[in-house]
Amino acid sequence: MERFSANKRNAWMGWTLLLLAIFVGTPALVFGAAAYEGKVLTIVVGYKPGGGYDRYARLAAKYLPKHLPGNPAVVVQNMPGANSIISANHLYGVAKPDGLTIGTFNNGLATAQLTKVAGVQYDLTKFAWIGSLASDAVILTIRSDLPYKTVDDMRKAKEIVIGTTGPGSSTHDFPSILKEFVGFNFKLVPGYSSSADVMLAIERKEVDGRAGSYDSIKPFIDRGLVRPLIRSRTASPGIETLPVDEDLAKDAKGKAIMVVASASTKIYRPYVAPPGTPADVIKLLRDAFAAMAKDKEFLAEAKKTKLSIDFTPAEESLKVVREVLNQPPEMAQEIGKYIKFGE
Amino acid sequence: MNRVLSLRFLFALAVALVGAYALYASLEWPFRTALFPRLIGIPLLALSLLEMLLSLVSAEKEREGHAVDFEMTTDVAPPLARRRTLAILSWIVGFLAFILVFGFPIAVPLFVFLYLKLVGKEGWVLTLSLTLVSWLTMEGLFNRLLHLPFPEGWIFALWS
Amino acid sequence: MFESFVEGLFVVLQWQPFLIMLMGIALGFWVGLLPGLGGSTTLALMLPFIYKMTPVEAFAFLLGMHSVVSTTGDITSVLFGVPGEGTTAATILDGHAMAKKGEAGRALGAALMSSLVGALVGAFALALAIPVVRPLVLTFGAPELFMLAVVGIAFISSLSGQGGRALLRGFLAGLVGLVFAMVGQDPQAGVQRFTFGQLYLWGGLDLVPVLVGLFAIPEIVDLAVRGTSIAGELPQGNLGKGAWEGVKDTFRHFWLTIRCSLVGTFIGIMPGLGGGVAQWIAYGHAVQAARDLKEREGFGKGDVRGVLGPGAANNSKEGGALIPTIAFGVPGSSAMAILLGAFFLQGITPGPDMLDKHLTLTFSMVWTMVIANVVTVAVSFFFLNQLAKLTLVRGAVLIPFILFLAFIGSYTSNNHLGDLVVFLACGSLGYVMIRCGWPRAPLVLGFVLGKIAENNFYISTIRYGSSWLLRPVVLILVLLTLAVIVYPLIRMRNRDATPEKAA
Repeated sequence: MERFSANKRNAWMGWTLLLLAIFVGTPALVFGAAAYEGKVLTIVVGYKPGGGYDRYARLAAKYLPKHLPGNPAVVVQNMPGANSIISANHLYGVAKPDGLTIGTFNNGLATAQLTKVAGVQYDLTKFAWIGSLASDAVILTIRSDLPYKTVDDMRKAKEIVIGTTGPGSSTHDFPSILKEFVGFNFKLVPGYSSSADVMLAIERKEVDGRAGSYDSIKPFIDRGLVRPLIRSRTASPGIETLPVDEDLAKDAKGKAIMVVASASTKIYRPYVAPPGTPADVIKLLRDAFAAMAKDKEFLAEAKKTKLSIDFTPAEESLKVVREVLNQPPEMAQEIGKYIKFGE
Repeated sequence: MNRVLSLRFLFALAVALVGAYALYASLEWPFRTALFPRLIGIPLLALSLLEMLLSLVSAEKEREGHAVDFEMTTDVAPPLARRRTLAILSWIVGFLAFILVFGFPIAVPLFVFLYLKLVGKEGWVLTLSLTLVSWLTMEGLFNRLLHLPFPEGWIFALWS
Repeated sequence: MFESFVEGLFVVLQWQPFLIMLMGIALGFWVGLLPGLGGSTTLALMLPFIYKMTPVEAFAFLLGMHSVVSTTGDITSVLFGVPGEGTTAATILDGHAMAKKGEAGRALGAALMSSLVGALVGAFALALAIPVVRPLVLTFGAPELFMLAVVGIAFISSLSGQGGRALLRGFLAGLVGLVFAMVGQDPQAGVQRFTFGQLYLWGGLDLVPVLVGLFAIPEIVDLAVRGTSIAGELPQGNLGKGAWEGVKDTFRHFWLTIRCSLVGTFIGIMPGLGGGVAQWIAYGHAVQAARDLKEREGFGKGDVRGVLGPGAANNSKEGGALIPTIAFGVPGSSAMAILLGAFFLQGITPGPDMLDKHLTLTFSMVWTMVIANVVTVAVSFFFLNQLAKLTLVRGAVLIPFILFLAFIGSYTSNNHLGDLVVFLACGSLGYVMIRCGWPRAPLVLGFVLGKIAENNFYISTIRYGSSWLLRPVVLILVLLTLAVIVYPLIRMRNRDATPEKAA
């Protein structure tokens, strides 16, 4: 009973706040001093509401005010399209570098820049980086009722059917690189409308396995539907001991491509400010993100809502980006063959 | 001559062009990318050419060709109908122009005000109160509560 | 089984979840009513509150809100001809036409009552289907989904008119819709198709601006041309008491309503078909119910059956749509993904257990949907006749607001100016189609089913070679497609043989 009244009170407070927000929300002013007092900080998200990028941003919007001087209001704006290239271009060329706009976009945008995808206007190295809130392990899983328990079992297999959502997603690129550079007999079946759809195809035995983000496959591993077999270099608790794709590569070229493909998984939820944002403001933002990532309440809520947190500071994030972008042109071309960037 | 310029003929022609373009564009695509656009483009081109031909040669039978869909009113005299159609279409395009020039938050109340005053010839009280309602919805709901990213109007870009 | 069914009801009727559900309903009411306020946007905004609730409350809130949206979305569709939600566009065809005949109250009554029947039938059908629901979903693999899409497109194209010429235009419209579906990056080779170098088009055309343009603009133009209110200068006698008439209509065509509800449930259960499909198939079925050609011609011009069909299917599909989420842990939409999160919070991993160990919880979710609809319909009935009077407001006063809703409704789907361009382009297309006597329904269905058809075709051929063509369900669906195409031709010949009967 007590619990309910607390909930109810919260709910009512929420409603009141919403109404208040409608009528007295403060307009964003031009940023002058270093403090955020009375300002509104906007987080631009490159995807529609409800997805992973959006949920991280909304969680951050809730806890950031606490860690910024002057406790500004933080709001989330969704700017979907072209797998977040639209939002990245906006942050790069349109948004004012006044510290009142920051943004988050696809972690694979570095690959898009490297392979010179049409429409890319941004240069990732020129953004004022804040850091990344999470990392992500990409894994390959196979249906548990199949006899493949190790990498060697898989090598011997005549054919393993992997369902994917199409070139440009880790569900496709990860197994396609493994097929090419490790030599598995994979048959890739692209065209599923979402990774959830691939999961259903596994359930009806239309396909034998799928690759993708560990976070999203974990419930199905726990339920015993699939078993994980290979991971990319970024590990997550629980799958540290899985074989890593780079160690399986037949040659140096394959290994190099795998490195580039998985580099950006270290910065799974990147946050940047527009290029030219003043250094003192950037410092405030970086400190706030770092402090938030250690905030116990923040971590507890993240855990409850199944958003894993693994903070990577700005310097390190930028290093990851440079590692991807500093490939020689001929290598870039090779990579473009196996890693597509797209919706 | 009249039939050649009839809307039906021109529309079928436009659809045929879409079909032809789809086929043309699919020429440089890999097989799997191109298969469906071709499977759709060929019948689209063929059927729309047929429709074009039919709207040229035969007057429609009285009871043929009624779509399961609504039909525009025929109660208004054609010249007046044409004038009104043109007027409303320019208002619609004008709304888009307002949005581009002034940005959503200003364009919406401005449009509501102008339309009520100029087309509706409504009184000041009604006009102003409805303009206020539109502004409150726009500003309160979509701007303040939902934080939609509304692009700034062009005139504000000139400003700075 | 039956016990869980009853127990599930009592879980919902506890007063705390019930209150929270009412809040969800209140919110969903507005979300459905306003184009531009989408379900997923609102859910994302509500997330912080949802995570504070207990799981049962969260379910009640989410489902309460979710199941009301398509009910109240119908209201906007009927009154203004602007789809309140992407899933309520089919109601416009006859619902708004009725409003123009001065029967807005009746149309609203029919839309709401059929929604309620749909929700109830959906729930009961689901309850009965639970033992077979897993095998049912698993039977429908990529080959079957491909054929379902083909049947759908053939079905609606062939129903969209009478006479050879109308049939021709029906198929043409369907093909144009399929071209629309091809826009964007293709998932086979990652090539951009028909994107003209626009980043905006990478992900394909968005359903909402296409629908809003296609349906709202012709109506706005028509309203302006007539220069009257929506209901015109008709005698206003029956406007104020029409809602009850609509309720009676629902029972007058009771079997049709039930059949459309079942169609909706079935499509809802099919993973990956999406929310937009059910209402159009149901609309097609309603048209098919016309006894003769003259009756059929009345569709699109205010036949109440054209409201009942999509109204019912719209709501019955929601119960079915729960199945992939709860029985397989595979969310079908972002609303369902958020729902899935609520499961994890409770420590339940959705899966086969939901149809077995946690059956009571599953049923409580179904009941929530039913009760939410009962509450909404009951409350709405107090307003319906008042709402219907909006159709008497001078057109010049309504037009700027309808345009505002149409513009903002389109813009919010991607928050991009490209949405407005698509909206206007589809608006012009819709206008020209009406002027030329091309039906719009096949275009919409071609558009929503095109991608499904293409993707599942490739999955089928890559996975099974050509052997998928021989799967039993596929063969049945092939026969059905042929029947759907040949049947109207036979009817046409019969009509020619006995012309006096059709006249």
